[in-house]
Amino acid sequence: MSADFTFCTVQYDSGDWDSAPLVPANLIDSVARYTSIRVAPTGVSVPLGSRDIFRYPLAYLTGHLPVRFTDLERRTLREYCDRGGLLFVDDHNHDVDGVFHKTCTDEIARAVGPMKELSNAHPLFNSFFTFEDGPPATSHELNGWGDNLIHKHLQAVLHGDRIAVLYSNKDYSSEWGYHPDNKRFMSVDNTKFGVNVVVYALTR
Amino acid sequence: MSAPMTTRLDIQARVQQAAESLRVARVSRLLLSALACFVSVWAAATAIDTFVELSASVRQCVLPGAAVAASLMLWVGRAQFHAVTVERAALWIEERTPSLRYALVTAVDPRYAGRVPELDAHVNTHRYDDAVRSVLRGVLRGVLWGVVRQPVFVICGAVVALLLLPRGSVARVARPSPGDTLRREVPAVSRDPLATLVVVVEPPAYAGMPRTTSEDPSSVRALVGSRVTIRGRRGSDAVYAIFDTTRVAAQDGDGRWQLTMTMPGASSVLTLAAGAHRRLLSLEPVADSAPVVVLIAPARDSILRRPNGSLMLNAELSDDHGLASGAFEYIVSSGSGESFTFKSGTVGATEFPGEPKGHGTLSARLSIDALEMRPGDLVHVRAVARDRNSVSGPTLGVSETRTIRIARADEYDSVAVDAAPPPEPEKNALSQRMLLLMSQALEKKRRALAKGAFVAESRAIALDQTRLRKRVGEIVFQRLGESGGEEGDALDRRLDRPTNPDSVLAAADRATVANSGTALEGNADETPVVAVNRPLLEAYNFMWSASTELELGEPGRAIPWMQKALDRLQAARSAERIYLRGKVRAVVVDIAKVRLSGKDKGIASVRASRPAADPGRALRLTRFDAMVELAARLPSAAADSLVLLRLEVLAPDRDAAQKLEAAAAAVRRGGDVTAAFVAARRALAGDVERRAGISLWGAP
Repeated sequence: MSADFTFCTVQYDSGDWDSAPLVPANLIDSVARYTSIRVAPTGVSVPLGSRDIFRYPLAYLTGHLPVRFTDLERRTLREYCDRGGLLFVDDHNHDVDGVFHKTCTDEIARAVGPMKELSNAHPLFNSFFTFEDGPPATSHELNGWGDNLIHKHLQAVLHGDRIAVLYSNKDYSSEWGYHPDNKRFMSVDNTKFGVNVVVYALTR
Repeated sequence: MSAPMTTRLDIQARVQQAAESLRVARVSRLLLSALACFVSVWAAATAIDTFVELSASVRQCVLPGAAVAASLMLWVGRAQFHAVTVERAALWIEERTPSLRYALVTAVDPRYAGRVPELDAHVNTHRYDDAVRSVLRGVLRGVLWGVVRQPVFVICGAVVALLLLPRGSVARVARPSPGDTLRREVPAVSRDPLATLVVVVEPPAYAGMPRTTSEDPSSVRALVGSRVTIRGRRGSDAVYAIFDTTRVAAQDGDGRWQLTMTMPGASSVLTLAAGAHRRLLSLEPVADSAPVVVLIAPARDSILRRPNGSLMLNAELSDDHGLASGAFEYIVSSGSGESFTFKSGTVGATEFPGEPKGHGTLSARLSIDALEMRPGDLVHVRAVARDRNSVSGPTLGVSETRTIRIARADEYDSVAVDAAPPPEPEKNALSQRMLLLMSQALEKKRRALAKGAFVAESRAIALDQTRLRKRVGEIVFQRLGESGGEEGDALDRRLDRPTNPDSVLAAADRATVANSGTALEGNADETPVVAVNRPLLEAYNFMWSASTELELGEPGRAIPWMQKALDRLQAARSAERIYLRGKVRAVVVDIAKVRLSGKDKGIASVRASRPAADPGRALRLTRFDAMVELAARLPSAAADSLVLLRLEVLAPDRDAAQKLEAAAAAVRRGGDVTAAFVAARRALAGDVERRAGISLWGAP
């Protein structure tokens, strides 16, 4: 019997959910590299309206286009979060005035609840690596792309003290969207925060 | 002769008067008796309510019941309204004055008028006239009083009782209404200001709902923003409420205290206090539901060949308390990769003024030309509606979103881009399955049929097989773009020879643009062009072989070909359902290599879903058990604890909340609470969950 962690990318009906195809492999590589978590070598893509999503404690959702959940997707997401799942959403547009941000936050508010700013002292930032200044900045933020902002905080929907939905405007989907073999060319691995997200999802 | 006749008539007139007086007396008695009945019932009910509190429903029945009883009495005695005959009146007088010796009866009897001279002579003496006059005066006076005396006494007694009884009880019976508990007088010594509560809920004006009143509720359920007024009897201690750590003093007036507040948005507990008395009231807000919006048209996502024309939009709206407005929202997304631009807007904005309407429709036409879309662009359309919630809203309801895409030129060969449905096979052509069944049936009859008839039947099937094959061929070559210049006989000639699927598909694949050659899921080596069209081409060739065998009168040898053709048609149907979008490039991470340890088996795992966890259930059960013990010693404290526990489980377990409410009510009522407690505990404990085995973290 295997008990490997499997990275799950969420398919939704309205937008380009597959806009960051290399992120799963890159995070799987990082989880394998830094932790002893038993991890599956490939990720899976699961429709948000499918009951299969309940097999995975962490679900990753990204895209550029408008996010409009169907009623089934909305119900499933609500149940997923109620049952202990963590949905990690990253705005691939890196733009708070962009349509992904507006529509996705609206949908999350309707499905799970309103999002609030996540404190940079939250246990998420210490769950494996320590990020004293909160979420690491991305090159897209530093280069002034998108909304030309460096977002100091992530957003989250909390169920008690547990994160049910983690939302990022920082465009980690672009930051982490490269083949894991190319990680060796980087002086600092920028996917470490992804490891924190995975460890947090598995331990809370 | 005139004098005796006049005297006789006088006697008759006097007896007639007596008859009228008797009728008046009888009617008066009947009416007074009915009135006495009505007032007696009223007074009796008021007296009972003074000592034993009658429910509102019982009190509402008192006066109508009294009126019915009085009416029934009048109905039974309706004969009393009839006139009394002179003869009966004379007999009635004779009965009370025996000395008349029936002369009066005889005198008024018209049958003897003038026929008995001796009697007339007696009458002429005026002896009877005087006697009758004096008798009538005395008898009627006494009779009238005797007749009406009883009901008059009863009426007087009932009126005096009503005047002596507490005015509140009289009013409760006379004008019963929900919430008039406070009118009922209670002894001042036992007056607990929190013992009796009346709660009046006035929903917000936008809801258009009536005001409701409830007596002694343990919880108040109302629309968010409703005005909640709590009233009670004033006692020796001042009443105040604690709500969300805020203390609010009640206002006194007219022997009552009153608290007014607005229903909050979240469930909470209101603590009422007066001296040493405490009482909890749970506040259960009812949220105004968002409007339900159903997008009727467009019915599904689709792809348009060209960015022109218009799109009909229709939606149906409904809301629990009335719609305010509705519109269609659209977002146009242009671009690709990392570069996207967006524009948005609304069309078909509609207001719903006037009386609150629970249902409505939206209709609009979205001009694709005006959106200036280009190939590859998307437009997302949805309908939205707002309700009239002026307290915490308006609440927004949205429909599902439809995505309309403008096709790119390079995807025509692999994606159905027609707005119209895909072409159907010829309606009058027999299906492949039907032809197969016919061939099998014919093969079974081979021995029974003559050779000529058998071959003729076989060729008839071959004809239908050929017709179906040509139809399949037309569909395939239309898709591959090779039918443009081939029509009629040319196409027939082209179709009337077996086709090599690989060569045709290879040509079609080469003709497509290079970037559409991405392999499909489940068909690792095939491009979409090949995957979609290969089964049809293979079916076409199998049909060709089948029709050849059928032409030769060999349905038995044709059957395998026909079965293969049917299989390939089924495969083609499956291929049509392939979802072209969203194939993530598979990157397999070599975990062992990353960890510098051995080789990975390369099997992705799955995880069994976890059941919903409810760690609070055991805690709630423990608290409930403590309440059971508390109920024996301090019932009011146990009732308050049950109310608190009910509020806690209201959201996760409404059934348990109802059972807890019943248990709290049972504790407040007193008496045996076993059944209510057992039901509440079973509801709290929940159903026993049976699972097949231990959940797995990986693939079984």
